[in-house]
Amino acid sequence: MEVEKETGIPKDAPQPPLAGVVYGEIAYWILLIGMVIAAVGLIIYLVSDGYVAQDCLLDKLWDGQSAETIWEDCAGQTEIPEGHWYLEKLSKADGLAMGGIALGCLAAVVGMWGAAIAMFRDRQKLYVAFALIIAVVLTLSALGIIALEH
Amino acid sequence: MTIWQGFCKSAGSPRFWAITLIIVTLLVIGTGIADAAEETTDTGGTSLSPIAFFFLFLFISIIIGMVAVLGGVGGGVVFTPLMMGFTPIDSYIIRATGLFVALCGSLVAARPFLRRGLANVKLLFFAGVPYAIFAVVGALLAEHMKNSMGDSGEAIIRLVLGLLVVGIAGLILFGGKRAEYPEIKSTDSFTERLGLAMSYWEQSIGKVVSYKVKRAPIGIGLFCGTGLISGLFGLGAGWAMVPIFNMVMLAPLKVAAASSKVLIGVGDTAAVWPYIMKSGIFVLFAVPCMIGLVIGTMIRARMLIKIKAGFVRYLIIALMLFSGIKLIIDGIAKF
Repeated sequence: MEVEKETGIPKDAPQPPLAGVVYGEIAYWILLIGMVIAAVGLIIYLVSDGYVAQDCLLDKLWDGQSAETIWEDCAGQTEIPEGHWYLEKLSKADGLAMGGIALGCLAAVVGMWGAAIAMFRDRQKLYVAFALIIAVVLTLSALGIIALEH
Repeated sequence: MTIWQGFCKSAGSPRFWAITLIIVTLLVIGTGIADAAEETTDTGGTSLSPIAFFFLFLFISIIIGMVAVLGGVGGGVVFTPLMMGFTPIDSYIIRATGLFVALCGSLVAARPFLRRGLANVKLLFFAGVPYAIFAVVGALLAEHMKNSMGDSGEAIIRLVLGLLVVGIAGLILFGGKRAEYPEIKSTDSFTERLGLAMSYWEQSIGKVVSYKVKRAPIGIGLFCGTGLISGLFGLGAGWAMVPIFNMVMLAPLKVAAASSKVLIGVGDTAAVWPYIMKSGIFVLFAVPCMIGLVIGTMIRARMLIKIKAGFVRYLIIALMLFSGIKLIIDGIAKF
């Protein structure tokens, strides 16, 4: 019985649907890149500082203060920044780390679009519709459209 | 005398030492958090340095990752109640971070499950629509409660989360017997038309497993509720997904567990963005927790060989009951 080297599954066994494989691969690699960026950003943040003053952040965090108070006291923001604030602060260590976190959170969004395209290739109309609905919900959420309408 | 003899007999077994090791570790976690909480300055902050804070939460999250997966639940369902019950950190920030770490664990696990066909991609898309939509609704509701209800909103969230965590612990304890390969003699026409049946290669028995599912309409309703809870309380949803897939829709246990793990990543992605957009995630707290949970999840694979998950399950139940009761008491005290 011939088996695939990576998975140990026989070559004549049922193949997993392409849409699933596409989703898994895209999500995994994007998350991994995001995690590395976030870790590098945090290390720089710990040895230097960032947009949000780290000692102040730690004090306020441990004092149970809300996100609004932390932004106001530690980053000098009169209002909590809404949307993708880190895109303008990528040169700051915590902005970079937050960019990595956001990239990681984007993994499933991109993966779902990839899965929808793969499902379309397999001509599974109902599941193309399901995948598109999920992809649209995730995209609207990531763009902040759903959150900002609230 | 009998107790002493029993103790001596148990002390010779690896099981005894494994459980002792985990209890000691959990005590170390609790003591570490409690000590850190006590080390407050006059201004109400902590005397911990940011680097010490990083390593403290890295260590705590590694242990949470190891213990949670050994007990058969995702990281979020242990992380969020534990952090809310035992740290003074704002619940909104904890829920945002809890969702993020649950999401990371899920996406890391998705790849091998989908490559092996263990996670049923059609089942994922079918369940993902109600789950993702209601996870967003839950996250928006959490933001609304925080803004409009102030301290009483915080009290309600702690109280309800406490009750929920106690309920989940009960579900894990008395949740009924899960069948590895449930037998389906007949299925309803709605589920049949969805074409959710699939086959995969089962490595442990060395043969192809073909399966069907049933009761899809009930599943839709339950996925809506699970998504809402997941978004509202920043919990992963592994505790609910596996029973829905396996006990309600009768998917094989491994398929249910794998599909649940992948689906959590989808739902949590939908739920986490409203928190990110409202700047509820802080890197100093989120990154060590993320790294710790992923490392803990990876380490447990080696540990699983030596420790039976069943014993750890009871420790998780005890931990969840403890966290849940503390959240209920906190919630009542805040009213």
